[in-house]
Amino acid sequence: MNDPSPIAAVSKPDALRSAITDARARGDAILDIYRTDRDLRAAILKPGERTVYEPKLGSGPFIRPSHYGVLGFFALEVDDARADWWASEYPVDRVSGRGIHVMPLGPVRADVAESLRYVLTVFGDDIHHVRLVPGYKHRHVEAAIVRQGVRRAIRVAERVTGTSPVAHAWAYAMAVEEALHISVPVAALRERTCLAELERLMSHLGDLAVLAASTGTVTAAADLLTLKEMVLRFNQAAFGHRYLRDRLEVGGGSPRQVEKQALLSFVAEVEREFRQVRRALDRTNSFLDRLHGAGKLPTGDPLGLRLTGFVGKSSGHASDLRWDRTYGTYGDLTQDLNPVHVDAPDAFGRYLVRAEEIRQSLTILKRLEGLPPEEPVPGREGRFGSGVGFGLVEAPRGRLFYRVAVRGMDVTAVRIATPSSLNWPAVPVALAAHNILQDFPIIDASFSLSVAGLDL
Amino acid sequence: MFYRRWLYHFIRRPAVSPYPFRPDPAALARPGQIVTTTRQFGRSLAVRHVDGGSSNGCESELALLGSPVYDWSRFGFGFTPSPRHADLLLVTGIITEAMVPHIRETYDAMPEPKLVVAVGGCAGGEPGYFAGLPGVVGDLGEVVPVAARIPGCPPSPNDILAVLLAVVEAPAARRAGGRLP
Ligand code: SF4
Repeated sequence: MNDPSPIAAVSKPDALRSAITDARARGDAILDIYRTDRDLRAAILKPGERTVYEPKLGSGPFIRPSHYGVLGFFALEVDDARADWWASEYPVDRVSGRGIHVMPLGPVRADVAESLRYVLTVFGDDIHHVRLVPGYKHRHVEAAIVRQGVRRAIRVAERVTGTSPVAHAWAYAMAVEEALHISVPVAALRERTCLAELERLMSHLGDLAVLAASTGTVTAAADLLTLKEMVLRFNQAAFGHRYLRDRLEVGGGSPRQVEKQALLSFVAEVEREFRQVRRALDRTNSFLDRLHGAGKLPTGDPLGLRLTGFVGKSSGHASDLRWDRTYGTYGDLTQDLNPVHVDAPDAFGRYLVRAEEIRQSLTILKRLEGLPPEEPVPGREGRFGSGVGFGLVEAPRGRLFYRVAVRGMDVTAVRIATPSSLNWPAVPVALAAHNILQDFPIIDASFSLSVAGLDL
Repeated sequence: MFYRRWLYHFIRRPAVSPYPFRPDPAALARPGQIVTTTRQFGRSLAVRHVDGGSSNGCESELALLGSPVYDWSRFGFGFTPSPRHADLLLVTGIITEAMVPHIRETYDAMPEPKLVVAVGGCAGGEPGYFAGLPGVVGDLGEVVPVAARIPGCPPSPNDILAVLLAVVEAPAARRAGGRLP
């Protein structure tokens, strides 16, 4: 880490703004401004250098609750990782009234959960208003990608969201390939398609297991987790990593051929097992009754949320990039299939879409093996010049977007829009729509969004 | 009268609810009076998980520990909804500065004896691609005493289970050095 030259000690947004203007005038790139528990900081990258350093921007008495007795009463909301800096710029809406109280939940939550704070405003059992406070997991992923070279950065992209590494790596690779005009051999595209569908399978099975567990349907949860473990073990055997990391390369790399018979028998087994679980779930009233009407989103999108993935598909935004852009080898595989579309913008609809998508993924995997063998066409290595490229991939949770700027062997800038960041704004809306606190885990599980994808 | 109590509680809001965290030294001074054992952790172990900035790959593996395939409850393990009941703290992810106070608070709220295990390369002091980034601590050992680190990205449920068993069975002296597994 090189010598941090502190910009200025400031405590107000105004002073901060002028300090940042100065840094920009010097030609430094401001990657991010954020606050820690103690002070405000900026992540700054000097042009031509790989290290990021972080001058402190100022410190103030950031009081945390429960340490200060009476003061804690007033400081209840000050604990938010980044909120009070944002709050001065964007006023936070609050609900007040007789009998209403605020129930902060998180960042440490029960069971295995990611760090995020929900500020629930409740009246008795009814949830009236929800505010999400991210920022606890802010890891500067984009800065981490920029620090690496073009080829190694794909490994960082795989670690943005641990449960969808293939989608991230593919979107990143697609963006770089577009920027540098690299064409990818068909064999590599087929491998990517296969990996992406296996990942969708794994992700959906895990999500549905959490959903089943949240309604107390533990038998189905156990079955679904066992199925997920089956997929993970197949991944390990066929591609050398349970979460399919370290396979994708910019330009295609050396694709691995899965044994046809192994894949087909695996698909058949998952299909058979899943059909049984699905049939049992569809007949379990205690499961269905909790889902119907829970976390209902307004139809017609009056809030302009532009939802994606299974959340969108169940609330009237049926778009799927596998059909819309037919990237990879999806064009041949999805001709006579249609994107799943369900008309139920509640937890039940989100369950149904994923259950159908699991079936669809299995079909695509089967067809992938049936494709005629392709002439081994070597990919064309593009010039290492400079350029900007876009990568758009349908991740398990929805539309994933990468914009990558490349110069020589370096990534100069990257922007990521994850499906989770698109869908998270819908969670408060769905939670505060005539639900009670007991529905909270179910609604939360029905969205199954990743916090890692929100707090990049 | 109501308002007197109300005011009293308002002013004297305790930081944490009082709870006998440590064994009573007076009771410990009388050998034979209480049942003792060399094993610090018995047949049931309550586990608490905190995410210190993970990519959620580690969480995905932790969730599988309860599945019939690994079924950690046959060893007496189980997640607890409160740190007050926890014997063991699992921390995942590169440790972000925003999470440091929350990890510490969770650790402080756990009764003695207690253990901390870092899950994944990130928490175990090998943050890899995230090393040296702003706001990243990168090693759980700098925040709370760590009994064991489980390498891997993410470590498989098998590895996690093996290390947890090793940690729980190990004598306290070896555990304290953080040299496990
Ligand atoms: S060790 Fe790997 S899987 Fe675990 S949190 Fe870190 S990057 Fe994610």
